[in-house]
Amino acid sequence: MTAVSLQQISNFVLKEISLDIAPGELLVLIGPSGAGKTTLLNVLAGLVPYQGRVTFGGRSADRLPPHKRRVGYVFQDLLLFPHLTVEKNLLLAMRCLDLTRGEKQARAEEILDLFRIRGLSDRLPEALSGGEKQRAALARAVAGRPKILLLDEPFASLDFRTARYLRQEFKRLQKRLALSTLFVTHNLREARELGDRIAVFHKGRLEQTARPDEIWFTPGEESEFLEKPNLLPCRNQVSLENGLVQVQWAGFNILVPDEDRTFTHLAILPREIYISPLPPPGPPTNRFVGTVKEIREKEGAVQVSVQVGTEILFVEISPDHLSAMRLAEGDRVHGILKLRALRGCRIAAEADDVR
Amino acid sequence: MPMGRFFILPLLLIILFIVGVLAALIFQVSPAEIYQAVSSPETLFALRLSLITSLLAVSVCIIIGVPAAYLLARRDFFGKAAVDVLLDLPLVMTPLVAGVGLLFLFGQKWLGGTLAELGLHLIFTPWGAVAAQTFIAAPILIRSSRTAFEAVNPRYELAGQTLGLSPFQVFFTVTLPLARHGLLSGTILAWARALGEFGATLMVAGATRFKTATLPISVYLNISSGELGLALACSWLLLFTGFLLLLTVKWIGRSRNPRAPIGGI
Repeated sequence: MTAVSLQQISNFVLKEISLDIAPGELLVLIGPSGAGKTTLLNVLAGLVPYQGRVTFGGRSADRLPPHKRRVGYVFQDLLLFPHLTVEKNLLLAMRCLDLTRGEKQARAEEILDLFRIRGLSDRLPEALSGGEKQRAALARAVAGRPKILLLDEPFASLDFRTARYLRQEFKRLQKRLALSTLFVTHNLREARELGDRIAVFHKGRLEQTARPDEIWFTPGEESEFLEKPNLLPCRNQVSLENGLVQVQWAGFNILVPDEDRTFTHLAILPREIYISPLPPPGPPTNRFVGTVKEIREKEGAVQVSVQVGTEILFVEISPDHLSAMRLAEGDRVHGILKLRALRGCRIAAEADDVR
Repeated sequence: MPMGRFFILPLLLIILFIVGVLAALIFQVSPAEIYQAVSSPETLFALRLSLITSLLAVSVCIIIGVPAAYLLARRDFFGKAAVDVLLDLPLVMTPLVAGVGLLFLFGQKWLGGTLAELGLHLIFTPWGAVAAQTFIAAPILIRSSRTAFEAVNPRYELAGQTLGLSPFQVFFTVTLPLARHGLLSGTILAWARALGEFGATLMVAGATRFKTATLPISVYLNISSGELGLALACSWLLLFTGFLLLLTVKWIGRSRNPRAPIGGI
């Protein structure tokens, strides 16, 4: 396991990026296209010029050419060598290892097993499906015992279900191999599912780094491309004795975990809101009633706009959930704001129209 | 296409023209005479000399031409357009004129003399034939190698480097294999050109039986001296090897793209 450190990295895209990746950490870089995410990977791999300092395990890598940096890079277009079988792609990546031919062969087979592509070892890349290619590219990237794994939107070209499956599998393997990893994506779902930490890039600058559950609740310009939480204006804050706070929103009483401060708004992610045409069973906490204004599908999920009093609430549900409920625009729905997912935040008056 | 009916005539004419030439070469003398001429010491010498000189010339072309082609495919530099034109010049230059140039160049004391001191006599020796064939064939190899390298996505080379391969290892394990079809086609076309080279070779190596007479020069010598059988035997050998090489190039083109009809290389 290697700690990787970037200090004051600048070049034609990046502006003074400083970032530490802990040994074995999976850090997700997220940001709109052109933000400099891929350029940062290229800096680490030594493929583009830069000023600043890069260290791998405390040792400077600035003067090392790409082939001596020991990075495992999965490019967005994968770049499996088309003239070599899957196994030979792996063996080529192991050339730099000080192993005998037999040991390399054994390691190749072990990795092929790990990525569940042993049966494909004799195939050329052109004979693989999209998901199989991803696995082969990942296997090749770890074959040479890299100090850090760099992944540039590796699942972007896959369909939603395959990508989700591969993400889960990748996360498991990344923890098992204990490889420090930088994972570039512009997909929020991916970032949330994978990251130990998330670094937000915007116009060549590192805007913030935070744990996945923290990053959404920092309203501000830097997060403008991220999935926004619903920001619900609330009032009449009353502290209860059981560690909760009660506020009023759109005429409903809402309970929020107490954070020892007063706040102006409630923040909750669209996917943390439950809706149903029938009153759901369970305790009557944090319930509301509203009307469906609009239903939109995007990126494998469904966004439902619900009018609650004068407020519009955005709710995200799965396509399966939508078809099971047979929800249509104009329907009356019952909803629950999940208590654990609610946060209180203070927003100045002009930020009220954030949504 | 109704126009096709009118355009078939020119096509037929050109086919008849080529077939006529081939038939004239084949039916001029009896097969028995040809067999005798093919197995004659002079023809066999010319064949051996042609194969040796052309293979040496192609080897020099590969050693010099492939790296040059790679550089031209991957790098931009000041004066690249001028270099492009210069490299193609031997393709449009009359070989006889190229031969005269080579003769004068290697006839210079400072170059020819220096090479002779090193043991390499070029003028009127088989080495001269190698030099002449290299000069004429190199641009063909460089052109097709360059196209082949340009067709290889340079990002594969970056990927190779991140996997721990040095730029040289990347060149030999990634770039060369990916460009192999184009390189092989170019090599074969260059070889065919070297094998059939006459004008420049005549000027630099001269035309001496059993010394510098390659197959084309042997044809010329025997026609001049009225030895029709020998001239035709050498012509047949040239024709046959040329045909074989052409088939190989077509086959490479097809194996690269199995769905393509025979034709494209």
